[in-house]
Amino acid sequence: VYLTMGESSVPNSEEQERLLDEALQVVKMESFQMKRELDKNKLMDGLKHASELLKELRTSALTPKNYYELYMAVCDELRHLQSYLTDEFQKGRLVSDLYELVQYAGNIIPRLYLLVTVGVVYIKVKPGCCEAILKDLVEMCRGVQHPLRGLFLRNYLLQCTKNVLPDGDAEGKGATIQNSIDFILLNFAEMNKLWVRMQHLGHSRERERRERERQELRILVGTNLVRLSQLEAVDVNSYRKIVLNGILEQAVNCRDAIAQEYLMECIIQVFPDEFHLQTLRSFLRACADLHPQVNIKNTIIALIDRLSHFATKDDGPGIPNDVMLFDIFSEQLANIIEVRPQMKMEDVVSMQTALVNLAFNCYPDRTDYVDRVLEATAQVFDTRNVEIVSNGSHLCKEMCELLQVPIAIYNNILTILQLQFFAPLYEHLDYQSRKKIAVNLVSNALEHNTVVSSPEQADSFLMLVSPLIQDQSDQPSDIDEEDFIEEQGLVGRFAHLLYSDEPDQHFQILRKAQTHFAKGGNKRMKFTFPAVVCATYEDASWQKKCQKCFESCRAVINNLCQAEYSELPIRLFLQGALSASELEFENHEAVAYEFISQAFSIYEEEIADSRAQLAAVMLLISTIEKCQCFSEESHAPLRTQCAHAASRLLKKPDQSRAVAHVAHLFWSGCTQETERKEMHESRRVVECLKKAVRTANQCMEPAVQLQLFVEILNKYIYFYERGCSGITVDLLNQLIGKIREELSNLESSDCEVI
Amino acid sequence: MNFFGFGSGAEIEILLDGADKRKKVEHKTSESKTEELSVYYDGETVSGAVSISLKPGGKLEHKGIKIELIGQIEILYDRANQHDFATLTKQLASTGILNQSKVYAFEFPHVEKPYESYFGSNVRLRYSLRVTVGRRLTDLTKELEFVVHTLSTYPDTSSSIKMEVGIEDCLHIEFEYNKQKYHLKDAIIGKIYFLLVRVKIRHMEMHVIKRETTGTGPNVYHDDDTVAKFEIMDGAPVKGESIPIRLFLAGYNLTPSMREINRKFSVRYFLNLVLIDEEDRRYFKQQEIILWRKGDIPSRQINTNIAESTKRFGA
Repeated sequence: VYLTMGESSVPNSEEQERLLDEALQVVKMESFQMKRELDKNKLMDGLKHASELLKELRTSALTPKNYYELYMAVCDELRHLQSYLTDEFQKGRLVSDLYELVQYAGNIIPRLYLLVTVGVVYIKVKPGCCEAILKDLVEMCRGVQHPLRGLFLRNYLLQCTKNVLPDGDAEGKGATIQNSIDFILLNFAEMNKLWVRMQHLGHSRERERRERERQELRILVGTNLVRLSQLEAVDVNSYRKIVLNGILEQAVNCRDAIAQEYLMECIIQVFPDEFHLQTLRSFLRACADLHPQVNIKNTIIALIDRLSHFATKDDGPGIPNDVMLFDIFSEQLANIIEVRPQMKMEDVVSMQTALVNLAFNCYPDRTDYVDRVLEATAQVFDTRNVEIVSNGSHLCKEMCELLQVPIAIYNNILTILQLQFFAPLYEHLDYQSRKKIAVNLVSNALEHNTVVSSPEQADSFLMLVSPLIQDQSDQPSDIDEEDFIEEQGLVGRFAHLLYSDEPDQHFQILRKAQTHFAKGGNKRMKFTFPAVVCATYEDASWQKKCQKCFESCRAVINNLCQAEYSELPIRLFLQGALSASELEFENHEAVAYEFISQAFSIYEEEIADSRAQLAAVMLLISTIEKCQCFSEESHAPLRTQCAHAASRLLKKPDQSRAVAHVAHLFWSGCTQETERKEMHESRRVVECLKKAVRTANQCMEPAVQLQLFVEILNKYIYFYERGCSGITVDLLNQLIGKIREELSNLESSDCEVI
Repeated sequence: MNFFGFGSGAEIEILLDGADKRKKVEHKTSESKTEELSVYYDGETVSGAVSISLKPGGKLEHKGIKIELIGQIEILYDRANQHDFATLTKQLASTGILNQSKVYAFEFPHVEKPYESYFGSNVRLRYSLRVTVGRRLTDLTKELEFVVHTLSTYPDTSSSIKMEVGIEDCLHIEFEYNKQKYHLKDAIIGKIYFLLVRVKIRHMEMHVIKRETTGTGPNVYHDDDTVAKFEIMDGAPVKGESIPIRLFLAGYNLTPSMREINRKFSVRYFLNLVLIDEEDRRYFKQQEIILWRKGDIPSRQINTNIAESTKRFGA
């Protein structure tokens, strides 16, 4: 007992193979017979065999793929029949009522295939009957309502008529381009109906399979559009008035998502861009009317991309002046978004991204266009009440993409600042994404050396990148330290781009920056403030504001102190002192003194680590040595203070080195009194060096001691060479002797030389 | 024709005037044999010659020679029921002796032939010429059958058949045939419009059914014969679909419709529209059409031919 499988069951591939094989066998056999009869010029018998082989196409048992194979085999055979008939007709062996005769075939499938075959021969031989036959064929094919069989029959019709459709100059032949258009449009409409109908046949559990099969068959429907696009006589006008309308009407009315998506895509692909430019409105309007499930985004992006590409093609004509490309897109997209509330936000955004690209590619000067797109997007956020875009979502990805486009295309953050709707849109992002964009903005500025030269710009830019500048209410508690350092490094570097040739302006900018950076909290100041301070020092070349600059710097540096940084403020103060010293403004000595004393007090109060202490002392010494602005009255206490600090260092080697370093103060230090010449206080130099030697003597570790001696010897030689009178050859020899002695001691012991 | 092996040995032959130019139709006399019969129309003169050939030296004694033109209706299941509706007789020769072959001309001028020849499954209407040579024992006879075609004319603009039919909540269709009366070389042009489709239709066919009715009263006997089966639709249409019909009649073996021929029989034709669903259920609607014979159409040019063979409803 066999259980018969219903028609709807999944086809068994072995069974399919067998069925196909059998059908192909019949086709082969019948076609052999047909050819034999035709060779004997027995047309009617030949046709009978043709009809027999065509009967194989009546099957319902084959899958679309296998049916296609069968169809191809049948077409091959029909081609033979067609060329035989054409030959016969041309030889004048006219069978006048052949077109009628083939209509006696009792089964509709063979009948219509034969009718098409014969009809095309008629058109070839008697162009006068072209119109009548084209109309008749496309109408008679209505008899096949079975989707699969109908699609293939009509595809056969389309293939056969390929080279006989009237195109262009058809005067006198009776048929015009209009006939061709009508013919294809009708065939297209019927095929599309059949194709859509497939969706509704059979059991719902087989929907997936059906949809797959429909996708396999879509090219059959699309061929109609290809054929329309191949008609040379279809110009922009007839495309707009007839062709496109016909296609869109069908596409919209069929209310089938698969068909609509494919057809819209197909229109874009097969027709030239020049046509699209002239019909944008109707196309986009139709897009708005499509089934809610249609992913219209892809279609629109494809169109935008194509037109963008067209506009920027080197040898292309560009966008005609009368086509308001951007306006149309902008207005129609707004409409589409409005009437399709179910459209996903990320899709909305990705369409807008494409539009931004189009605006830039076609109208590079119109930043307002880009801004309009952002505005429209921001509005969608409002209407749909989308507040925050969560990180990692599709929407978030698309948003970042959208916002990065203007950054990447303009490569100028100042242009971004002109986009009023950049910030509002950006505000919808979550912390991570905002930060990402901010990093992008700052990096872009650095990469392109974009100088921010007005306080207003500085203000808005720093506001924009605020995730880098200050803590955000929505930021997570754990922050990756490495990332943080890297980001703040960027911000620090960026501070140097805050620059105006106008000192006053520049000062204002830096003040703004300070206010922003001040909000950044302790951990950011470390990175941002030095940059501002340094930038300010550079700026302070301007008499009137100098005092102010230094005051503001002092305030900033004090902020850093409060943030419990110590070495950094010392360095900044000292740097400030040096800058002040070199600038000839009224009060510069006092400022420099103040800065150095500030540095001293930080040194005394804040620095505990001995190494840091040594470094700070050395810095202090060097700075004072370089400052030439002081009067003796100021310089003396500073010198003393340095000597004092040096001798009070905890470790002997440190003391020794620092004291030796102080010697330089007494040699190359300058004061107002010396008129910027080095003071050359030999006595004090020698005192310092001797003290250094003494201190070195107290070191316990021979190796360290030896090293200190060598270092001190260097100093001796340095000063000796510069003519320091207190340093005698004896003194040098004495030290050299000491070194030799120590060296031999060192060698006798097992110590290694460092 | 010498059934008894003796007698005259005379051969009778009936020759019709202009037979070579006259239209002929093939007539099947048995399963394998066909013969060509001449076609006559109503009112046409039937003339010709009867040739009686004798063997050299033979002679034929007869009681007169006559030729009859007979119109006859035969009901096949009822041999008794044979009816001659027309009998015309011409005397060719009175009693005498033939010494040599002789040819007699005959003429039935303007013969009324009211009915079309018909060869059906239960009934035949046939015309023949019969020559009888009267003899003492058995007459010599010879028959020649011929065919009568009745021509009619109807205006081309005969009204169409339009009808809406259906099964409630299941299937509603509207069909339209361009005419009610078709000549035998005509094409039925029409369309089916689907108003409601709730059954899974597999295909749709158009049948031409010939119904032969014989007898009267309680003895009426019908014989239906599907003379044409023509698929007009494959697959299931949806609401709003309109399917064209074009069925050329010339290819089928059809006769004009006949009504109450001599009160003996009728031949009627029906178009049967049959829809078959996936469960093989059939839905059909029969509609009578009148078939008539039109005078011969001269052979056409290919272009007018195309116009004929691409005719569609409403086009």
